[in-house]
Amino acid sequence: MPLPAPDAARPAAAAPAAAAAAAPAATHRAGWLAVGLLVASALLMLLGASVGSTGFDSVLRMAHDPVALQIVWDIRLPRTAGAWLAGALLGLAGAVAQGLFRNPLADPYLLGSASGAALGGALAMAFFGVSPTAAQWLARVGVTGMAFLGATGAVLLTLALARGVQHTLRLLLAGVIVGVVLGAARDLVELASPDILQAMQAFTLGSTSFVGWVACALMAAAWALSAGAAWALARALDGLTLGEATAASLGLPLGPMRAGLVAAMALATGTAVAQTGLIAFVGLAAPHLVRSIARVTHQRHVLLSSLMGATLLLAADILARWALAPQELPVGVLTAALGGSYLLWLMHRRSVQGGAL
Amino acid sequence: MPCPILTLLTTSLVLATATLPAVAMDITDARGRTQSFPKPPDRIVSLLPSLTETVCALDQCHRLVGVDRYSNWPEAVQRLPQVGGGIDPNIEAIVALKPDVVLLAASSRASDRLEALGIKVVALEPKTHADVRRVLATMGQLLGVPAAQGADRVWRVIDAGVQAATQSLPARAQNVRVYFEVSRGPYAAGESSFIGETLTRLGVRNVVPAALGPFPRLNPEFVVRARPQIILIGNRSMQQAVFYPGWDSLPAVRDNRICAFGPGEADVVVRPGPRMAEAARIMARCIADKAP
Amino acid sequence: MKKIAISARGISASIGNASILQGIDLDLPAGRWTSVVGPNGAGKSTLLKVLAGVLRAGRAGRVEGEVRLNGTLLNHLPGRERARQMAWLGQNEETSADELTAYDAAMLGRLPHQPWMAPPSAADHAAVEQALRTTQAWDWRHRPLSQLSGGERQRVLLARALAVQAPVLLMDEPLVNLDPPHQADWLHTVRALIAAGGTVVSVLHEVTLALQADAMVVVAGGRVLHHGDCGDAATHAVLEAVFDHRIRVRQLDGQWLALPRIEAAAGAAAAATALRPTGPKGD
Repeated sequence: MPLPAPDAARPAAAAPAAAAAAAPAATHRAGWLAVGLLVASALLMLLGASVGSTGFDSVLRMAHDPVALQIVWDIRLPRTAGAWLAGALLGLAGAVAQGLFRNPLADPYLLGSASGAALGGALAMAFFGVSPTAAQWLARVGVTGMAFLGATGAVLLTLALARGVQHTLRLLLAGVIVGVVLGAARDLVELASPDILQAMQAFTLGSTSFVGWVACALMAAAWALSAGAAWALARALDGLTLGEATAASLGLPLGPMRAGLVAAMALATGTAVAQTGLIAFVGLAAPHLVRSIARVTHQRHVLLSSLMGATLLLAADILARWALAPQELPVGVLTAALGGSYLLWLMHRRSVQGGAL
Repeated sequence: MPCPILTLLTTSLVLATATLPAVAMDITDARGRTQSFPKPPDRIVSLLPSLTETVCALDQCHRLVGVDRYSNWPEAVQRLPQVGGGIDPNIEAIVALKPDVVLLAASSRASDRLEALGIKVVALEPKTHADVRRVLATMGQLLGVPAAQGADRVWRVIDAGVQAATQSLPARAQNVRVYFEVSRGPYAAGESSFIGETLTRLGVRNVVPAALGPFPRLNPEFVVRARPQIILIGNRSMQQAVFYPGWDSLPAVRDNRICAFGPGEADVVVRPGPRMAEAARIMARCIADKAP
Repeated sequence: MKKIAISARGISASIGNASILQGIDLDLPAGRWTSVVGPNGAGKSTLLKVLAGVLRAGRAGRVEGEVRLNGTLLNHLPGRERARQMAWLGQNEETSADELTAYDAAMLGRLPHQPWMAPPSAADHAAVEQALRTTQAWDWRHRPLSQLSGGERQRVLLARALAVQAPVLLMDEPLVNLDPPHQADWLHTVRALIAAGGTVVSVLHEVTLALQADAMVVVAGGRVLHHGDCGDAATHAVLEAVFDHRIRVRQLDGQWLALPRIEAAAGAAAAATALRPTGPKGD
């Protein structure tokens, strides 16, 4: 049933053409942003292959020295690719989290996955030294596997506590509770075996030093799945921006769509945390940065956030390896410092502009 | 020698044995993994200070090509390239050194990564005196040092040293109650830890019983109730200035019967390695000094 | 025989222990504009939500009864089909759409028509442009919602509801923050929708504007007190009664108005005399 125009004189034929041209500059900006980030990623990848404790020599000697080749190909490249992929996963999860919870301060760790991963890792490290049988089973699963199981287990626990995905507030609250409780459990584990304290600190600060090609493959697969799910379900996020009842009135099956988005978020976060530890702020800052450059609907927003997160973490990782070469900074420390400063600046700018954060 | 033929036979026998191909050694480490070494490794990277000291105690220091940043004994080791810490090693630096084997703690995550890169890894983590003896034997086997000259000899030296330290304690220091704090928390060394075992052999009584585990985190109240006569502090940062609330009432604190080990001595005391005899001597010296 | 757009039978809704609606039966005819009025807390918004199917059981409350849209039970309609047949505009929905441009916000109304993962089609763009022009929001369609005033924002949300181009349109307090010219525009738009064969149901607390509708439903205390034509004297009588006779319904230039009654009513008089320091009490 078409609407009659208020001024009957306005011709309807001009409407579609004008509207197509009205597809705002934002879409163009989004395209340029994507291209820019891809180019930046490629350049940073090259840089990442040249940065390390043995410096650029390894790249130059690659042709004749098998060790140099191994260093560049088996150590630096997978680390660099791993940083990019982990950032992509975190950026994606952050965009989904902010859309799902309709809160610009949401980050991928809201559903307790950070505490779950840390607990899983702590259990793995603690039992490693206790019994040889446990050690063999754990050797197969590894700290990485246990961290992933812990992260997904925590999200399932949150979902169970919130009795489903329908109530955003309940989900948030359950996530906070699960985070606190699992954090306490991890503290107990650390108390029982204090020799894992240093290792846990290294885990929580985040680092790409243990990422090999297998880890990259795992992260790439996880990214393909989560990005696909997020892309397909992005319109639920769009609908939710107008409120839950409005989204329901638009015919969106919110329950299954939310469940799918939570699953995508959990998979992405769990995989990233298991491989590279707890890296802060990438998931929080990437969507904000994208929004400040190009405002697009969620379908493109989640992918752009993923790309932005990947570039951010890659840059931070290279800085972490380069700043104090041959020593390394844990990349989580850098992202927290840089990300925190960015958020401070964002808050200051918003309060100056008079808007709400 | 009276008979030149005998000399010839003996020499040729010795030569023959010396040139026999070495038997491949199967080393089982703390993770339960067994690896085969056709010959003793020539290039070793060690990521655990106690293992570094063990290698050097077996006279194989020359095989080390890289150590972690905490390994600092003996002097020669300080000139070696440092490849990060035990928990956060620099994988690239390790690979660049082309090691035949990497020694590290069983709880380190680096073992998986290094093995994926094709580097042999032996994970050992001594926690008790028995562990130290076993690690000595394993390392001796790995480095191809016969037990008589290697592991057994070192252990005898350690044993004798601890014995001597025990005997050096005056009578009034016998059966004195001690409390050993490993780091602020307080994390104490219980009877079942290697530090506790040394203290037991020295003849003093540990206020932290074996039932609490090797390195329990205590309630400071426990120590007040236990009223140790001497407090030993092993942490490097010498923070004896600020005690826990309520400790002012302890006679050990009032009479300043506190042994705080400085950086050099603390390293010796908290490492379960070949310098345990010296650790015993250091502890005995202080206990003898501060005994009531 | 008039076609019934929405029919409700035995609607009861409660949140926690509080009963909001009790046993409501309602038949809203197609092709007519019905306004829903009543005092604060009467349950008008809840009734509209139930009719729209956005208030489901289990959200800390219970909903009973059945609602039929064009004869089909609401529960039996697939979500998208229902969304294409019936559009709903809520009141005070907490939105996080501050970053969204007006155009994109209006485009969200086309979701029921867009196939999965398809970009907006030419028809979608045309509908959005028409909706934005109708609510005078076309000129600043690229401004983000956070930079709009209350009235401008409301017009964008209206455009969103209009963009759905659904035969049935339910609106809860559509005139908040709108100044008189835009209120008049809204009246004009609704009339045009009805003329084109659509059905409009609006909850309004501006009684005068509600009286411009074809029919009126008076709700009080969770029940329907009256459902009749806006021109009927019976409707006026119920209207005045439900507001404690603090309004008078009068006609001026062929339009019905609700005028506030300024003289104090009986209860107010007693309260006023009690405030006097001296003087004989009594009525």
